[in-house]
Amino acid sequence: KSQYLQKMAANIAAGAVVCVESEIRGDVTIGPRTVVHPKARIIAEAGPIIIGEGNLIEEQALIINSYPENIMPDTEGVEPKTMTIGINNVFEVGCVSQALKIGDNNVIESKADLGKNVILTSGCIVGACCQVNTCEVIPENTVIYGSNCMRRVQTERPQPQTLQLDFLMKILPNYHHMKKTVKGTSTPVRN
Amino acid sequence: MASLLQPDRVLYLVHGEKKIRSPLSTLYFCRYCSELRSLECVSHEVDSHYCPSCLENMPSAEAKLKKNRCANCFDCPCCMHTLSTRATNIPAPLPDDPSKTTMKKAYYLACGFCRWTSRDVGMADKSVASGGWQEPDNPHTQRINKLIEYYQQLAQREKLERDRKKLARRRPYMPLAFSQHTIHVVEKYGLGTRLQRQRPGAPITSLAGLSLKEGEDQKEINIEPAQALDEVEPLPEDCYTRPINLPEVTSLRQRLLQPDFQPAGASQLHPKHKHLLIKRSLRCRKCEHNLSKPEFNPTSIKFKIQLVAECQVLLTLTNPVENITHVTLVGCEEGDPEDINSTAKVMVPTKELVLAGKDAAADYDELAEPQDFQDDPDVVAFRKSNKIGFFIKVVPQREEDGDVTVSFKIRHDFRNLAAPIRPSEEGDAPTEAIWLTHHVELSLGPIIA
Repeated sequence: KSQYLQKMAANIAAGAVVCVESEIRGDVTIGPRTVVHPKARIIAEAGPIIIGEGNLIEEQALIINSYPENIMPDTEGVEPKTMTIGINNVFEVGCVSQALKIGDNNVIESKADLGKNVILTSGCIVGACCQVNTCEVIPENTVIYGSNCMRRVQTERPQPQTLQLDFLMKILPNYHHMKKTVKGTSTPVRN
Repeated sequence: MASLLQPDRVLYLVHGEKKIRSPLSTLYFCRYCSELRSLECVSHEVDSHYCPSCLENMPSAEAKLKKNRCANCFDCPCCMHTLSTRATNIPAPLPDDPSKTTMKKAYYLACGFCRWTSRDVGMADKSVASGGWQEPDNPHTQRINKLIEYYQQLAQREKLERDRKKLARRRPYMPLAFSQHTIHVVEKYGLGTRLQRQRPGAPITSLAGLSLKEGEDQKEINIEPAQALDEVEPLPEDCYTRPINLPEVTSLRQRLLQPDFQPAGASQLHPKHKHLLIKRSLRCRKCEHNLSKPEFNPTSIKFKIQLVAECQVLLTLTNPVENITHVTLVGCEEGDPEDINSTAKVMVPTKELVLAGKDAAADYDELAEPQDFQDDPDVVAFRKSNKIGFFIKVVPQREEDGDVTVSFKIRHDFRNLAAPIRPSEEGDAPTEAIWLTHHVELSLGPIIA
């Protein structure tokens, strides 16, 4: 636990575009070519978060590695669990993700809610306003849609948003200040 | 405003074939009969067809030919959303020089909601943006068409025979029953085009045209009767042991939306053309005048004729017409047959209340003199332009958990602005006022202990 407390700095790789207005707390590693919009929140409370490359995290998205509900934060002997997020994922506006393991090429649409016990593999699409709080591994290429969270399997995975990422990496620095990456200074700006 | 935000609070009683109580915002007012009409005592007629996604108007004949489906738009077979056409660039060899490749646009259909694409069922990408998509053919179409023709001919023949029989012993005072019965037979197999609801009392001239066909040669259509088979295909051997691939199984709704094929597997769900919607016009059943007639253009939500009750009938507190209106409220007497829902006694003001007319410019006219109406402060709480607030006393009769409901009758004068059919003899006679009485039920909410 003491080891975890020491690493309270965010580790932003070179090539990532992270706006200053976003809130990053705890031990968060962000890979290159990832874009984090202003007002996005990445909170590593109960363990570190490792975010891969090419991800798109939009406004008011919340990625939180929180304590399980019945455990107090000060309990001894609780292992910090790492939350891993793969590459080319899209977290759309207002979504909440507590899933500990997210693979590649997933799309979590606006206001979707992922619980702590869900594991997304690759190519999954969680539709807008869908709450997925079951304890399961979502198979590849699954689409969850509709008010009843209907499911179906699609034949191709969603395409990575390369065009959008390139555009944002050019435009966002024109209008926002960016957090310093690892190549620059090591002390991040904290909100 | 009870009319918009809490519509069920104030109910008006409509005297139609059935006694219906409903809020004023859902009622129409026939100004030729001077009565309230609800949706159940008017006749609904189809005005025009249009597609809800491309908003294209379609004449009724064309709609019937295309089975009420749009030609351009498709529905997702998975979630019934509208499909959109997307384009990708694929390398394709040039026709002149097969070794070089050029980027060509290929179009496919995709659903924005459930992410279904036309590639999921194996439909190839088309090179044109619209018009390239075909629905799969029903293998039974020919047989069905032949059956329909045969039965249409049969129905026509039956109808002619019936007409002939009845014409022979027709009595002069029985035209109504006769025409309605034969029209019902004709519509049995979908033949009736202009023979829709016959107006009561109209002559039966439209049927006379059909008897002329006796002279024509009618093609005899013969059909083969359906053959019953003794052997049925057996179920596959692993029917009970094979594990189910749940994403592949179609839901009942998906299956039944395609009654031609009813596919059991999701890989056979083909998109169908989008269903057309209609605009309907409403007609009073007693006087046959139009109460509501929408605009022809699908993009317009206005109406050519719209006789909504709110524009004519008095609301509880607001006067919607421009004239000064006098209102009397009368409580329901004991044993009133219409008073079935009230749970409280109400004492309404006995004096006549006067409401000023609705004046759209009154808000902007600062120099207007305030109208002097001499209100009794015990009766009238406030008055503002065409609104009035008044007091009523309510005595709940029962200690109930439900809402307190009171009912009373409003009697007000109404000037009919429709042009009178009878010509007036000396210049313009002023329009006469008629007195209308409405039975109103007001739901006041639960009793606070």
